[in-house]
Amino acid sequence: MDTLVNVMQGLGVALQPINLLYCFIGVFIGTLVGVLPGIGPISAMSLLLPVTLSGTPESGIIMMAGIYYGSMYGGSTTSILVNIPGEAASVVTCIDGHQMAKKGRAGPALGISALGSFIAGTFSLVALMLVAPSLANVAIAFGPAEYASLMVLGLVVLTFLTQGSMAKALLMACVGIVLGLIGLDSITAMPRLTFGKLELIDGIGLVPVVMGLFGLAEVLFNTEQAIKRDIIDAKITQLLPNKEDWKASAGPIGRGTVLGFLLGVLPGGGAVVASFASYALEKRLSKTPERFGHGAIEGVAGPEAANNAAAGGAFIPLMTLGIPPNVVMALLLGAFVIHGLQPGPLMITQNPTLFWGIIASMYIGNVMLLVLNLPLIGMWVQLLKLPYNILFPLIILFTIIGVYCSSNNVFDVYVMVGFGIAGYLMRKFGYEPAPLVLAFVLGPLLENNLRKALILSQGDMMTFVQRPISAVCLAVALLLLLGPLLPSFRKKRELVALDEGA
Amino acid sequence: MTDTSPARSKSPLDNSEFWSGAVWLALGAFVTWSGVKLGIGRINDPGSGFMLFYVGILMCVFSVTIMIAAISEGSAGFGALWAGANWRKPLTIMICLAVFAVALEPLGFLLSTIPLLLVLLRAIDPVRWTLTIPIGVLAPLFVWWVLKKALLIQLPSGILEIG
Repeated sequence: MDTLVNVMQGLGVALQPINLLYCFIGVFIGTLVGVLPGIGPISAMSLLLPVTLSGTPESGIIMMAGIYYGSMYGGSTTSILVNIPGEAASVVTCIDGHQMAKKGRAGPALGISALGSFIAGTFSLVALMLVAPSLANVAIAFGPAEYASLMVLGLVVLTFLTQGSMAKALLMACVGIVLGLIGLDSITAMPRLTFGKLELIDGIGLVPVVMGLFGLAEVLFNTEQAIKRDIIDAKITQLLPNKEDWKASAGPIGRGTVLGFLLGVLPGGGAVVASFASYALEKRLSKTPERFGHGAIEGVAGPEAANNAAAGGAFIPLMTLGIPPNVVMALLLGAFVIHGLQPGPLMITQNPTLFWGIIASMYIGNVMLLVLNLPLIGMWVQLLKLPYNILFPLIILFTIIGVYCSSNNVFDVYVMVGFGIAGYLMRKFGYEPAPLVLAFVLGPLLENNLRKALILSQGDMMTFVQRPISAVCLAVALLLLLGPLLPSFRKKRELVALDEGA
Repeated sequence: MTDTSPARSKSPLDNSEFWSGAVWLALGAFVTWSGVKLGIGRINDPGSGFMLFYVGILMCVFSVTIMIAAISEGSAGFGALWAGANWRKPLTIMICLAVFAVALEPLGFLLSTIPLLLVLLRAIDPVRWTLTIPIGVLAPLFVWWVLKKALLIQLPSGILEIG
């Protein structure tokens, strides 16, 4: 009953005209960046982070959240019609989605993708509404030791799931922590790694770092290779899947939703992992696995449901524990912090209108996305024809402006350019930026909790293993760190390890 | 991801992994030293350099692991990383952005952004002049107007006070 009252209260916030507008802008931009290959939700959210400053916290966060789950919808359009993933979570949709389009079934592929996404998105929101408040009550009992261990686990899981060498991913996480610690020490107020520069006293901003590493570096990386586009030009008809399509897709959508939600909740997990896991599961369960890769609708329905459910699930650790489970949520945490808010167990009780308003807006956003992605599919197809030689310079212009406006400081533009070049070189040398950004956000929180835990326990390191939650987190982290030493475990990691960057 | 499978080299001289590891090792050593300088403190009262010191050590450990793997398993040479890629385009953009970063404050927003956009539109994949000039001039002018006049955001106007 309480939940229902809260939802109604949330709807009151979400249905305010200004919040509806922000929600629409968010899901529209999300679909846009999802459709356009080369720009992902991370780049778009970092680009728009400064914009959130102008409105209320609700409006800004509603828009940022909309970009994230909106991109999950839009990404599938490009995968199906062009065979290029619009964003990382849609990589797997290319396999069967494009094959369906080639066989003249682009309509049902796009339809099941949007409808599956809607079902999964709605389920994950209901689960989020039911799970988050209970988990927040448990999380109130968390002390610095639990928080520190949870953050360590989050970082380790992300490095475990990052493509390529684990040593490189861990190194990136360390670099992120160091970058996050630049500026005044929060306990002793001593300046650290500031090199006498006043601009560094407050530390490096999240916006220039992310815009450089994801926005600018992405453009630099894309310009060196010709992006080939094989757009399905035939008129798209019959978007609604037929009875057979629904029969084949019902199971994959259901399983993908549950699997995606669970993987989304886990620290370090996310939409990309969920979509691959769902595809693997459907292929394994299928009586005719040989159809996969040749246009099986289950290979579109399952992963698309999974990545949308994961996008909803990923809000749980952020909203209840204040710990972002992936880079996108780290950016959302940045948006909360910009507005002087700290997500965590107390947010639901202290700021219920914000929490329930965001949840309710996500439901409205899902309905908006269904409208945007089915009847307006022709518009997105036209957009796919936008030339990159015009798009890329404009993206660069907007990154510069976005960074400048976030702080009114030219120094941040230098930082963004520096990180853009560093990000490009990191990709060339096989270093993924995702663990760096998550560690950059978690670094100061981790340090703070670690030092507090040590001070409270009077230097007794056993405090981390005597507390059950902390002990479990550290044990799992240790298992993931040592696991890749075993050849069979390493193979499994390579199967699930993905590029979260785009 | 970059495919580093062709032309694997075990020689440290043309081994991209080895040298990237070496750069991170140097950074790790610097972070460790900074941690010591700031004060590690005691275990029951960690100092400002506590976290930096231990993270710096971890950076050194991971860097050495990467370097050892680079020598024992081999890795792509520097040339192989850009094989088949048009490296001139990102390099041009980087140079443009470096020049832009230097010019932004002395020249101001408009006088630095318009040339940047014009050059980028021609450098990435040349857009015809009839489109380059309107986009390159109007886009920064529009953004300048929105930011400065509509949103009242202070933009650098440079020594010539333009913009």
